Amino acid sequence: MRTHLLAIGLLASLAFSFAAWLEPWHATWAGNRGKSANLLQTALGDGRKIFARHVYAKADAYFHNGYYPPLFESTDDAKAGRLSQTAGLSKDKHNCADDHIGKPRDWIDAFSRHFYPSRHSHIGEGTCGHDHDHDKHEGCEHCDHCDHGQGDKRSGEEREILPWLRLSAELDPESVQTYVVCSYWLRGTLGKVDEAEQFLRMGLRANPGDYELLFELGRIYNEDRKDPSRARNVWELGLKNWHRRESGKPQPNLFLCAQLLGQLITLEEKQGLYPRALEHLTALKAISPHKEAIQRWIDEIRYEHTP
Amino acid sequence: MNSTTLPTSPVAPRDFALAAPAGASGWTNVWAIAGVVIKELCRRKDFYVLFVLTALITLVMGSVDIFSEGGIVRYLKEICLFLIWISSLVIAITTTARQLPAERENRTLFPLLAKPVTRNQVLIGKFLGCWMACGLALGMFYLFLGVMAGAREHVWPVLGYAQAAVLHWFMLGIVCAMSLAGSIVFAAPSSNSTITFVVCVGILLLARRMNEVALGLSEPAQTIVYGIYFALPHLELFDARDLLVHNWGAIPWGIWAGALGYAAVHAALFLGIACALFRRKAIN
Repeated sequence: MRTHLLAIGLLASLAFSFAAWLEPWHATWAGNRGKSANLLQTALGDGRKIFARHVYAKADAYFHNGYYPPLFESTDDAKAGRLSQTAGLSKDKHNCADDHIGKPRDWIDAFSRHFYPSRHSHIGEGTCGHDHDHDKHEGCEHCDHCDHGQGDKRSGEEREILPWLRLSAELDPESVQTYVVCSYWLRGTLGKVDEAEQFLRMGLRANPGDYELLFELGRIYNEDRKDPSRARNVWELGLKNWHRRESGKPQPNLFLCAQLLGQLITLEEKQGLYPRALEHLTALKAISPHKEAIQRWIDEIRYEHTP
Repeated sequence: MNSTTLPTSPVAPRDFALAAPAGASGWTNVWAIAGVVIKELCRRKDFYVLFVLTALITLVMGSVDIFSEGGIVRYLKEICLFLIWISSLVIAITTTARQLPAERENRTLFPLLAKPVTRNQVLIGKFLGCWMACGLALGMFYLFLGVMAGAREHVWPVLGYAQAAVLHWFMLGIVCAMSLAGSIVFAAPSSNSTITFVVCVGILLLARRMNEVALGLSEPAQTIVYGIYFALPHLELFDARDLLVHNWGAIPWGIWAGALGYAAVHAALFLGIACALFRRKAIN
């Protein structure tokens, strides 16, 4: 009995000693999930990033009213690019003629298309595709079918994509695209400028100095807050960070650099700071494929505003 | 062996509730058995637990503040419908899978068959009971979904909800018939439940893509896979969740009725298989 008690006492002391030894190490360990206030990070760790892309694709599916390639047709181009194209993040335009399902292959395929969204449409637009521009709505088969006003444009429905974008940002805070797209919809159609700025700042905390986020933040200051000097500072910082991060790359993101320069040129021109505008135009000419048009712009400014 | 030729069991209770009065039609027996199954579901806690869980998760998700934007409802509908589909599959499969094994285990099948009740009537009664019980459960689930979504959206597309709920219910009819047939083939309800659940989820996820997969194969694999594609009960046909979530309006009535007919044929097919197997099965 005494031996048993001594053994238990020894094991308890050992457990206590190990706890006292390991606890300070665990508290300072980089992989300690308990340090994070984010529940998803604590529960899933870095594995949460696997789900972030799927959740972002869900937002894209909502943008298309559920018309979306299924899980098994996963390509980056088809899935994740379309929402960002609409938000102006990509140089490729959103092609509404995209038809990922094609023609029915058999009768089951044709029949099943009545039970899921099988026509390309965007959130806020009518989903039925019928023409509602006529006089007699009463007794009209199309209007009966669209009895909930689906044929009319609905304002503010874009808010439906926000939960997925927010969740995607929580799952992968380093995905810059999510913050920019969400901010675009918040400040644009929904008019929630404060929330958009707050969300971008959250993105900047997770991705310090990111030029895409700074570009979008500058647009908020310039277009919504009407504060050109702050917008200039933010865009110039964005341009500086772009040069620092992208200039050494074999395929730099020239589209975003051109957008930053374009915004700065327009701003300086409006403010009457023509030498600065010319400086940015020269930089834009070096990277733009439309060199003649930019040269004409430079000549125009020089002709009109140089003494 | 024909059940009507079975001798009366000495352990059969004298005033057994399911005993049909003399001259009563087969349907009276079927409805009596179905009534017992429905009462069983009402007594069991499975449905209540799943309903409370679904409601709780949906309400908690609904309380999340998203950029101070009220009226966001589609994600809630999607989560709620997903939970309803999972819950309904669990209820349908587990309720149906345990019917015959429980009767055998409790030795109530002998007195039941000793009455003027045929084996087919027992099976059809069990199927109808489970299917009706699933319908009752679905009614509660869809009512909750409709009230929750309508309260936030201020739109009441009753027709769309009714169509989706009935489609869902008919799909569960196929699942119940499948599970009932499985309960005669497989030894234990647990193995039957697991296999039926895996098959149903597999069909829901993959069946729509099988024709594409088949077209990418060489002969004779192409014909075999395409044959399986046509023979499978396409449960995904009854999944109108995306139409509900994104407010696409009602499905054309002819198409909707066609889908119900498709479900009825497949349910009858599985029920026929179950009846054929049960007639040959030695129940002792």
